[in-house]
Amino acid sequence: MNTTVVGKNLRKVDGFKLVTGGAAFTDDVLLPGMLYGKILPSPYAHARIKRIDTSKAKALPGVHAVLTYKDVPRVPHTTAGQAWPEPSPYDTYLLDSKVRFVGDRVAAVAAESRALAEQALRLIDVDYEVLPAVLDMEAAMDAGAPVIHDEPDSTKIFDREHNIAAHIRREIGNVDDGFREADFIFEREYRTQRQQHCMLEPHVTICWLDGDGRLMIRTSTQVPYHCRRQVAMILQIPVSRVRVIKPRIGGGFGGKQEMLLEDICSALALATRRPVKIEYTREEEFYMARSRHPQILRMKMGVKRDGTVVASHLQVLATTGAYGSHASTVQGNTGSKVLPLYRAPHLRFECDVVYTNTPVAGAFRGYGCPQGFFAQESLADEIAYKLGMDPVEFHRKNAIRLGDVDKLSAQLGEGKEGLPRVIRSCGLPECVKRGAAAIDWDRKRQSLPARAGFVKHGVGMSCTMQGSGIAGIDWAASFLKMNEDGSFFLQVGASDVGAGADTVLAQIAAETLGVSLGKIIVTSGDTDFTPFDTGAYASSTTIISGGAVKKAAEKVRAQVLGVAAKMLAVPVENLACAKDEVFTTTKPRKSVSMAEVALQALYQEKLQIMDGASHYNTDSPPPFCATFAEVAVDTQTGRVRVVHLATAVDPGVAINPMQAEGQVEGAVTQGLGFALSEELMLNHTGWPMNPNFLDYKIFSAKDMPKLTTILVETEEPLGPYGAKSVSEVPINGVAPAIANAIFHAVGVRIRKLPIRPEDMLRALYEQQPELKPEEALVTQ
Amino acid sequence: MFDRVEAFYRPESVPEVLRLLQRSKGQARMVAGGTDLVVEGDRSVRFLIDLTRAGLTYIRSRDTTCVIGATTTLADLEESTAIHALAGGLLSRAAAACGSVQNRNLATLGGNLAHGSPAADMATPLLALDASVVVADGEGRHKMPLAEYFGRAWQNGASHALLIEVRVPMPPQNGRCGWSFQKFGRTEVDLSLVNAAAGLQLDARGRVKWARLALGAVAAAPFRALPVESLMAGREFDHSLLAEAGEEVMREVQPIADLRASEEFRRELSRVVAGRALEECAARAGCSL
Ligand SMILES: Cc1cc2nc3c(=O)[nH]c(=O)nc-3n(C[C@H](O)[C@H](O)[C@H](O)COP(=O)(O)OP(=O)(O)OC[C@H]3O[C@@H](n4cnc5c(N)ncnc54)[C@H](O)[C@@H]3O)c2cc1C
Repeated sequence: MNTTVVGKNLRKVDGFKLVTGGAAFTDDVLLPGMLYGKILPSPYAHARIKRIDTSKAKALPGVHAVLTYKDVPRVPHTTAGQAWPEPSPYDTYLLDSKVRFVGDRVAAVAAESRALAEQALRLIDVDYEVLPAVLDMEAAMDAGAPVIHDEPDSTKIFDREHNIAAHIRREIGNVDDGFREADFIFEREYRTQRQQHCMLEPHVTICWLDGDGRLMIRTSTQVPYHCRRQVAMILQIPVSRVRVIKPRIGGGFGGKQEMLLEDICSALALATRRPVKIEYTREEEFYMARSRHPQILRMKMGVKRDGTVVASHLQVLATTGAYGSHASTVQGNTGSKVLPLYRAPHLRFECDVVYTNTPVAGAFRGYGCPQGFFAQESLADEIAYKLGMDPVEFHRKNAIRLGDVDKLSAQLGEGKEGLPRVIRSCGLPECVKRGAAAIDWDRKRQSLPARAGFVKHGVGMSCTMQGSGIAGIDWAASFLKMNEDGSFFLQVGASDVGAGADTVLAQIAAETLGVSLGKIIVTSGDTDFTPFDTGAYASSTTIISGGAVKKAAEKVRAQVLGVAAKMLAVPVENLACAKDEVFTTTKPRKSVSMAEVALQALYQEKLQIMDGASHYNTDSPPPFCATFAEVAVDTQTGRVRVVHLATAVDPGVAINPMQAEGQVEGAVTQGLGFALSEELMLNHTGWPMNPNFLDYKIFSAKDMPKLTTILVETEEPLGPYGAKSVSEVPINGVAPAIANAIFHAVGVRIRKLPIRPEDMLRALYEQQPELKPEEALVTQ
Repeated sequence: MFDRVEAFYRPESVPEVLRLLQRSKGQARMVAGGTDLVVEGDRSVRFLIDLTRAGLTYIRSRDTTCVIGATTTLADLEESTAIHALAGGLLSRAAAACGSVQNRNLATLGGNLAHGSPAADMATPLLALDASVVVADGEGRHKMPLAEYFGRAWQNGASHALLIEVRVPMPPQNGRCGWSFQKFGRTEVDLSLVNAAAGLQLDARGRVKWARLALGAVAAAPFRALPVESLMAGREFDHSLLAEAGEEVMREVQPIADLRASEEFRRELSRVVAGRALEECAARAGCSL
């Protein structure tokens, strides 16, 4: 493609401010008279508040408000930041007389210092009636299990008596017939853990009333518009009385696709009529925010003798914790984005998402796919092995390809029927080819793990996909206006959460308008000053918000050319713009600068060049990814070291390749933690045991393997300048590629995450290393 | 974190530190790098006494001893040529295994030992080197073996005494000597689940003249595995000796079970980590198995 701004490694438009430590983030402002808010967390996994006495706390000098369920409106809602009407159950209350997990809100205070706020919490006197709790998702549906949502006013819960937040069953073809056609059937169980986002910047919100008494919410969010709607509904004030401002964000990863602190912080600001800030501590972030849904997956696949997959059946039990945020949609993705990777005509997905008295799960990079792909890609590797087939060959044979139609997606939309997916661009074969070359697959598959010694090397791979926006639901708007110097203001509702959306959107505008990147000034994520956008999630911003920017820029370009046509006295059709000027495409060459056009428009024509556009897609083009890992397994200690991780991604056209690579590297780092070290552990009473970085192990610089990142660009017809998405898909394949590499190294299958040294060593002791492929099939 | 801290002192001499300690009657904490103290977040602290300007940052190499001041940072130990020359750089290697670069720039040797963690990574190599420490309190200065500091003295409130310096006797230079530090954590930046420091001298025929082995994080305090050492003395260094030593290590350790690891795993790791330390010593002494 012949472009001058798009596809270039340009610096982030907000980069200078960030690296020089300028005031950028939510917490970088100090408002006069600001109070500190703090939430009293429940010490019990399940309890009713029999009596709550706040008088002592209120009497403490410097304390300005203490709120309990008695002081606030009771409006059932979900905290999930999704398009209205949200598919998640309305099972959450601003404050309630019942608490459902250790960390649930009991009360909230606002005081003149953090220390005073903490002291006030200690002065709140609560009598609890402790209820039996259910922490184990496998026991949640049992007869006689405590009912977590027994309140009558919650809605959209699938089966409250049995703690089932959501239930999904979808099928294409006929899976039972499919299994009858198969020569071999494989079935295995996999388990995944509770992973935390660990974004650098914790959740933080500052609320105040402006001179007109409107509620201002400056907050670290991925979803300003959903947040505004939800806060207005929960506090029962008009949307017009609320403004949500999203400054720079220090990472969200889905954890901020959630209205988490904004409601309670607003309630405190309204109660005190002073600015109030609530910022989670790192410890609170671990159990009072959101996490990845833990799942138990039963994966069954039927294959022909030649390796052709004929049927897949995935059964999932997942827990959403105490509230159903993103319950049906994350789990829906576990089926709809995973199973169609293989072209099998018969696919079935069944899932129960249950409540337990545990920290609440929510959106998290990959959105259900890392769990599903861990199961599917581990089983695929096992099948390939049993058939004596190279896993690369197995994927070549079975993977979805250009022109295919994924019909399962049509059945599994966001909370309702979705739309079929047509594959209009697919770089997966190339991803596999280049990823394999990067890791030296052919040679290492043969030569490893022959090496003597107790450290065994092996290589493994996986293929994965995702979506780019939610088809038919995600949409965005943008607005552009021209300034005297030929620059443009770009206003977008899109939320740059650190991933670089502002830069990418500015590149799209600049390319379309024929100006340099510096000529685009971006304002984003402010509900008073930027048009609507569903938010930064579902890998949607580049394709959906970018689509809106391109459309608006095209309309504005037409206006620019219109003015220039008069100035140059040539027909509009003979004009083009590039390099900050408008010029004739026919001889003789004549041109005017953008600034001259702007001055002409503003002062002669009395015309503000400006326009806006809205955009959505009816399909969600998948980005593809092939992940290759080389591991070294220390068979004496169980330590699995990843030596090399090669990730080849098809993001469509990378609008900013450098940023895209950064997203891939960030995603695989979280994927490595998911695979090998991260898990929030709870004790038998539901208390978090490791809410800190000492015992919750994320990957540090020292743990990182050699990374190879390869962008395999394709041109997606539905994306602006051919772009799809990149930020989620690379997380999906890391765990299975590592588990498969471990098998190659030591002949042992690990089906539970994370694979900590102790788990690995135990498996080495307990499992017999597998037999040779041919023998394995005979003994089936 | 330190809600009630009223004063932060920066004394410039040891006597000044001692005066401040006495005056504050147990409500003061000494702080060096702060990498343990700040994490601890003790809310009862009212005074903090910064030690880093009290003149305790030094490394002095003499003929028979190497003396290391308490506020010497782990980064200093990692880089010092004197420390590199001592026991094949054992202390540098142990220091380099502690935390991250940022951490080592702040963390001090004194803090590592005074904090009293059974997992302190500098403790085992110093035990293996027969180090002693000098502490000071109102009654003057006392020298004691490091093992005693960890045992009796530490439990009786030696942590409230100022640790002045660590004295390391120069290990034997002649003959085939080797030293090793080995550590196992869940990830690369982690407290040790087990650490081990060992030293070994082999005679001309490959027999062990003497062996030293210290283990950390697998008992209430780091300790010298004396039965292992005596078992090895005089024996030929080979696989069967290593296996025997490993069995003995598993009998010696008293690991706990917690969320980080089971007792069983820690016991097994002790055997592996100690074995690797001894093997590396032998290899450095010129005997590879
Ligand atoms: C991220 C991270 C990683 C870490 N990794 C490791 C690791 O791998 N291995 C390891 O061993 N440790 C590790 N630690 C712990 C810590 O960094 C070390 O123990 C360090 O050496 C402590 O030294 P300090 O100077 O920071 O001590 P401080 O925190 O200043 O003090 C610790 C304690 O010792 C007391 N104290 C300090 N100096 C003296 C003195 N001269 N006399 C008497 N009392 C004194 C203080 O009062 C306090 O009680 C890690 C810590 C962090 C935060």
